[in-house]
Amino acid sequence: MTRWLVRLHRPALVVWAVALVLVGGTLAWLWGPLTDAAAAAWRQYNACEASTCLYDQDAIIRYKDLYTYATFAVLAVPFLVAAWAGAALTGRELEQHTAELAWTQGVSPTRWLLAKLALPATLVTAGTGLLVLLHHQMWWAGESVIDNTKSWYDPPTFYAGGPITVALALAGLFAGALAGLVLRRSLAALGTAMVATGVLWAGVQWVLPHLWSPVTVVGSLRDQDPPGGGITVSTDLLTASGEHVGGTYCGRSDYPGECSDLYDRLGAVSWSRDHHPLSHYWPLQLTASAIVLAVAVLLALAAFRVTTARTRSASRSAS
Amino acid sequence: MNTGRLRTVLLLHRAALVVWAAFVLGSVAYQVWLTEVTADDVHATLAACRDTPSNYCGLWAAQDYSGPMGWISTFMYYGFWAVAAWSAGALIGRELESGTARLAWTQGVTPARWLADRLTVPALVLVIGGAVFVPVFRWAWSAHRDLMGDNWGFADVFAARGPLVVAYALCALAVGTLTALLVRRALPAMAVAVAVMIVLNRYVEKHRPDLWPTVGSDGGEPPATAWQLGDGLYHPASHFWPLHLIETGIVLAVAALAVAAAFLLLRHRTQPAHPPRQESPA
Repeated sequence: MTRWLVRLHRPALVVWAVALVLVGGTLAWLWGPLTDAAAAAWRQYNACEASTCLYDQDAIIRYKDLYTYATFAVLAVPFLVAAWAGAALTGRELEQHTAELAWTQGVSPTRWLLAKLALPATLVTAGTGLLVLLHHQMWWAGESVIDNTKSWYDPPTFYAGGPITVALALAGLFAGALAGLVLRRSLAALGTAMVATGVLWAGVQWVLPHLWSPVTVVGSLRDQDPPGGGITVSTDLLTASGEHVGGTYCGRSDYPGECSDLYDRLGAVSWSRDHHPLSHYWPLQLTASAIVLAVAVLLALAAFRVTTARTRSASRSAS
Repeated sequence: MNTGRLRTVLLLHRAALVVWAAFVLGSVAYQVWLTEVTADDVHATLAACRDTPSNYCGLWAAQDYSGPMGWISTFMYYGFWAVAAWSAGALIGRELESGTARLAWTQGVTPARWLADRLTVPALVLVIGGAVFVPVFRWAWSAHRDLMGDNWGFADVFAARGPLVVAYALCALAVGTLTALLVRRALPAMAVAVAVMIVLNRYVEKHRPDLWPTVGSDGGEPPATAWQLGDGLYHPASHFWPLHLIETGIVLAVAALAVAAAFLLLRHRTQPAHPPRQESPA
């Protein structure tokens, strides 16, 4: 059964292998030589004391460009997996009725679907896991030595370097399989699976800040920005009585006339910000991954239910 | 063109038509809501910021308006990705793959007519959608400039304020068609067509500021509405239409070439090297 699946989807397997080599290779290149070159360029730049200095600007730009491309390539994986699963894995077989043919040939529908999902799920998990791991390590290697690296909470960086993207790729695979089974049309399933993956991803981004209790920091209005970086949940102004006043983010209060008048009028005395510091990285990543995995499992279960329901009704109408 | 065949193409692709209509009308309604309702709420919040010349005050409140406005132009601009995928996959690729195209050609519809129907109907639908969207976007985008942090030189805003956004969609339709005729299989054709359109768009967008001479090499101060390009160079707002129309012309020329190539390829494909043997009537 596995050999049959591999033969049927050989082009997809080749594309996946080539994509892994290309994106994985780029990430490894970024992690090693390109990080070193960009770090050296930043050392040159920071050591500069004259008005004009020679530094390897190309190395910095090359690192930044490739980082952007590689990050978006990793983030695109769940969408491409969903598109493929919807169009090629189940949708096409039901459109051309080869699935029904297999079911009449002694392959039970449940085994048929299990065989179709097991190997792709393994390959998607392993491949996406590898890319995400490389991205994570690569970002950490550059974080302290390259001055213009993205912050850990920059959304593309946060998602491309964590297990959420692996969970999303699995959810995309099962969403595609389910869409193909329900719609029984290859291209309609492709579109539906991609949109479903996009909705799931948007949903994850929306709930993520609320998955762990944030840390509240209170700071002086003399600072340009409210205290505490990381993933912001909310920023407010506090009055002397501890009341929250939201929505009127100005600047620092010690320039006369600029923002101090506003703060006086509102009675604000300090900033208050609810945020997630770096120490919440893993709790947030793992909680969100668990939720996406739960959705993936539900999609897979639904796919099995649709298959058995369909064959039962088919055999009833045949008898 | 015969209206019966026009209706056939519309009926066959009614799902795509519904999605497109919902997208255009939904985004138009959302823009009206943002401009007429949301903007007033934001202005009320901003009123608390009076006497504060700082750009920071109310920045986050303005996000409620500027954020969705930005997404609308982004989705409309990059909609040509979906058009490329759809025309390569659903419009042409599937019919070639499943053999329904060949069937149609034996039923008295010539291949050239068949292709002309499949290009004209979606092209009309795209042009009508653009004709509804673009004027509304132009109105909504300029209604509350004080709440937006963008500028007419932003890639998506630049395209969505005129016919360029439609030109990209038409080019995607043509490129998708040509790709499907070359590859003859829906899924690979979709992937190739989207990739070709992304590369074409990146390339043209990279050279977008070079399509009309820039101003500012004399070190003059750029006006507030200028599209600044670095090194003191900029395009004043009056350069919008020349830049926009030249790029529209370039993209439409690529579309025309792709359409011509598609018809030539189809004729080459469907004209047998040896004419079919004539059966004698007897």
